[in-house]
Amino acid sequence: MFQKSLPRIHWRSWIQPWEGMDWWLFAGTVALMVLGGIMIYSVEHKQAVADWSRHWITGGVGIFLALLIARARYEVLLQWRWLVYGITVLGLLAVMFFGTEGLGAQRWIPIGPFYLQPSEFAKLGVIITIAALLHERPASTLPAMLRVLGVVAVPWLLIFLEPNLGTSLVFGAITLGMLYWGNANPGWLILMLSPAFSAIILGSTPNLLKNIQPALEPFGIGIWLIWILLVGIIAFRSLPWKRWGTFTAVVANLISGGLFRFLWENVLREYQKDRLTAFMHPESDPLGSGYHLIQSRIAIGAGELWGRGLYKGTQTQLNFIPEQHTDFIFTAIGEELGFIGCIAVLATFLLICFRLLIIAQNAKDDFGSLIAVGIFSMWVFQAFVNIGMTINLSPVTGIPLPFLSYGNTALLMNFLAVGVVSSVANHRQRLRF
Amino acid sequence: MRYPSEASRRRSFRSIRFPAKPATRPSVGRLRLVWGVLLLGVGLLSCNLVRLQVFQAADLVERAKQQQTTYLKPFAPRRPIVDRNGNVVAIDQPSITLYAHPRYFGAFSTTEVAAKLAPILDRPAAELQQKLDSAKSGIRLADSLSEDTANRIKELYIDGLDFTPSQQRLYPQQDVMANILGYVDVQQKSQGGVEFSYQHLLDRAAKAVRLNRTGMGTMLPEGVPNGFVHEDDLRLQLTIDNRIQRAVQGILNRRVNEFGAKRGLVLVMDAQDGGMLAMVTNPTFDPNRYWDVKDMASFKNWALTDLYEPGSTFKPINVAIALEAGTIKLTDYFNDTGAVTVEGWTINNSDNAARGSISLTDVMKYSSNVGMVRIAQTMKPSVYYSWLERVGLGQTSEIDLPFEAPGYLKDRKTYMTSPIEAATTAFGQGFALTPIQLIKLHAMLANGGRMVTPHVVRGLYDSQGKPHWQPQRSMPKQIFSPSHTNAILRMMEAVVAEGTGKAAQVPGYRIAGKTGTAQKATESGGYSASRFITSFVGIFPVDNPRYVVLAVLDEPGGLAYGGTTAAPIVKEVIEVVAGVEKVPPSKADPQ
Repeated sequence: MFQKSLPRIHWRSWIQPWEGMDWWLFAGTVALMVLGGIMIYSVEHKQAVADWSRHWITGGVGIFLALLIARARYEVLLQWRWLVYGITVLGLLAVMFFGTEGLGAQRWIPIGPFYLQPSEFAKLGVIITIAALLHERPASTLPAMLRVLGVVAVPWLLIFLEPNLGTSLVFGAITLGMLYWGNANPGWLILMLSPAFSAIILGSTPNLLKNIQPALEPFGIGIWLIWILLVGIIAFRSLPWKRWGTFTAVVANLISGGLFRFLWENVLREYQKDRLTAFMHPESDPLGSGYHLIQSRIAIGAGELWGRGLYKGTQTQLNFIPEQHTDFIFTAIGEELGFIGCIAVLATFLLICFRLLIIAQNAKDDFGSLIAVGIFSMWVFQAFVNIGMTINLSPVTGIPLPFLSYGNTALLMNFLAVGVVSSVANHRQRLRF
Repeated sequence: MRYPSEASRRRSFRSIRFPAKPATRPSVGRLRLVWGVLLLGVGLLSCNLVRLQVFQAADLVERAKQQQTTYLKPFAPRRPIVDRNGNVVAIDQPSITLYAHPRYFGAFSTTEVAAKLAPILDRPAAELQQKLDSAKSGIRLADSLSEDTANRIKELYIDGLDFTPSQQRLYPQQDVMANILGYVDVQQKSQGGVEFSYQHLLDRAAKAVRLNRTGMGTMLPEGVPNGFVHEDDLRLQLTIDNRIQRAVQGILNRRVNEFGAKRGLVLVMDAQDGGMLAMVTNPTFDPNRYWDVKDMASFKNWALTDLYEPGSTFKPINVAIALEAGTIKLTDYFNDTGAVTVEGWTINNSDNAARGSISLTDVMKYSSNVGMVRIAQTMKPSVYYSWLERVGLGQTSEIDLPFEAPGYLKDRKTYMTSPIEAATTAFGQGFALTPIQLIKLHAMLANGGRMVTPHVVRGLYDSQGKPHWQPQRSMPKQIFSPSHTNAILRMMEAVVAEGTGKAAQVPGYRIAGKTGTAQKATESGGYSASRFITSFVGIFPVDNPRYVVLAVLDEPGGLAYGGTTAAPIVKEVIEVVAGVEKVPPSKADPQ
């Protein structure tokens, strides 16, 4: 009796600080990290280019830190929000001055044998900052929303100038998701994005229609004008100063659309246009901008239903996909583990996202809830764009797949995020008796 | 003990500036929208994965395989070919093909690139530019560049220029042996000659090996069989003597021009084993520049591809057959009436002279058609026909060169039913053979009646001269008895000494010979009165017969006879052969 009950008590007291944690979420992220480690090994073991073991070490450290943070109270961050913000901006400034160049951009700071990517930490920093701001004042008023945008603009600009288009897009997704969760008017969010859509619509639809039937080209411009009209209606109905607001929104859309078309027709060179549109027709330049996309699609398709088998994917083992261990790790999964493996990865992401929404819904305060949604936005956006890129649904932008792609800073940051969101879950108000 | 104490909780709460205020949750609608967007996204990705990994999978697997495998032909130069004395007559040397991909020229325009390449390639810039503008990539700009030239181009540092090393076959003797050697084209395919018939010995690379290729283009060594890059120093040795071949070519070319002949050839055979010492045809070509050849006939080795009616040069064979068949004796006399009628056809002597009863030697010496018909008529047609078959008429000579045409001989039934066939055959008309088949017949007269197989290849030898492979040839069949062939040689000696072949005389050497002047068959049937094939076959030295020389001229101009056109060629050739082979001056027969 004594012998039987003692270990149980011991076990419970040991696990007790993490009792409120979301183990599904935790297990899901660890599973992805382990799968990532295996796939990175599969890609690298014949080449010895990057050190595949680092993924495991960083992953281990990350798990440890996540468990440590999960114990701590996340509310502390509310108090430290300007500190977090300051460190984020300082880190990005440091990259500007001391960063090393790689792949045509300044992204890394060398610290001893390691290279840190402050833009990765900046994602989490910005999530915490926005959560704190919206916690204070929800985005339901226009000034509150603009305040958030103003605060985010500084790190966003620094990252954009690195230049790091991928991460700056992730910033956009995080901000958008959190504003939406923070009760911002959906109309405002649409207005915020409308100039970009205006440019894309005017840039693409006339050409797409022209390719189908030359006579249809004017209809593309018609669609664009309908969009402008729609923006005007949304502005008129959602903005407080209706006339000026509507006027500004419509003019902004007209200018951005026109400007983009002007750049497209007159300034951008053929190869630059090719790079932007390569994902739609990679076969047009199979050795240049389309190479990556074609190879990645071949690898995934060659996996078929059940995959070639671990370490047996020929596209992967013969190194046909450049940067496969980082941004294109999903192609290795696709080829060696097949459709089943891909669906398992998607299902795991879906599980993680589901748990994040549960945590967001059950958090004891807006701060925690917004943190969970910020992290949700980040991972969802990264996963969609990354996987979409490998199967030629989105352009190659350099966004890694959370937990799976090789990248030590990103992996560490993702586990820190797991820690913070676990803390939110751990310290939610529970029924106690 | 299950939860932190209430006190500690309070403490940590107190330290926070913004205590948790009641959460203002977004509406359920917003949550649903977020969840909906998520599911839509996952659905979209899943559908596309199904598209790729299920519906397009077979096609993509095929594409993956295609780009991952490559066929590697082992890099081994073709074996060299050497002549009888070890002089190289065909050898591989590295050559580089230049490809241009203007797409990757970068800062350079095609005009600039063309201007830079023009002086190095020694070609007009305008022509190069026109080629460069013809495509975006994959332009084959220049072939057969030397390594030196390639290096000079590399030093220009122009992107988009690609150098593909390969082997180029070099023929140091140029056109001297082209008809024997054939050539190897830029695709490394052998075309004609020894290059073609001995492809299996010359080409070291047995077959290409399937290898895996990485994304960087590197081939992986897995799956390469042992001995893949094995190299040896074996060379294919010919029986041809380069010195004789070269000298004979000079003689023939001069004579062809002199007589205004359409073409000509000279064959020199060692009758002991059938090895060819020289095989010269005119016209010929330079295998180093085979693409420059305008007249396709130059590629033809007509010594073995073209049939002709041998005419009088066949007469000694006719005599040998009759002697061997036992229907005539060396001492027999024949009544040369100047003309003889067979089946209503009248056969005349070429000079229409009637010499009365003449000896066998005189029949040969005067090249008497009537005498030859009488000799053939001593045999039953069936016996005669069997002999024609036995000496190989209507068949190939089995020389080791490709594309040999078999001779033409009418069928046995024709010979049995119409006596005119045997009569015309007796003086070398009514059937056709190639020059190489004729020299094979005469070799029997020179070597005591054995039928040897003509050939140009001695075997595979290493650089020390050690044989590695030699062709297995069947034992020569004894067709005629040596006493008969020796007697016929003496008759032929009389032809050179006193008869139609005087122009072939070489002081100090006893030479046997026979002229031939055959009218060419016309397309409309019958024989042309103005177009001849003149020939002379010489065998020497008569006291120790070994060398057979055949010269043939196709359509020499004017009033041409074998004795006046071909015989002088044979004379000159014999002088060359006697000198090179150090043939001792002849001795008279012991009485």
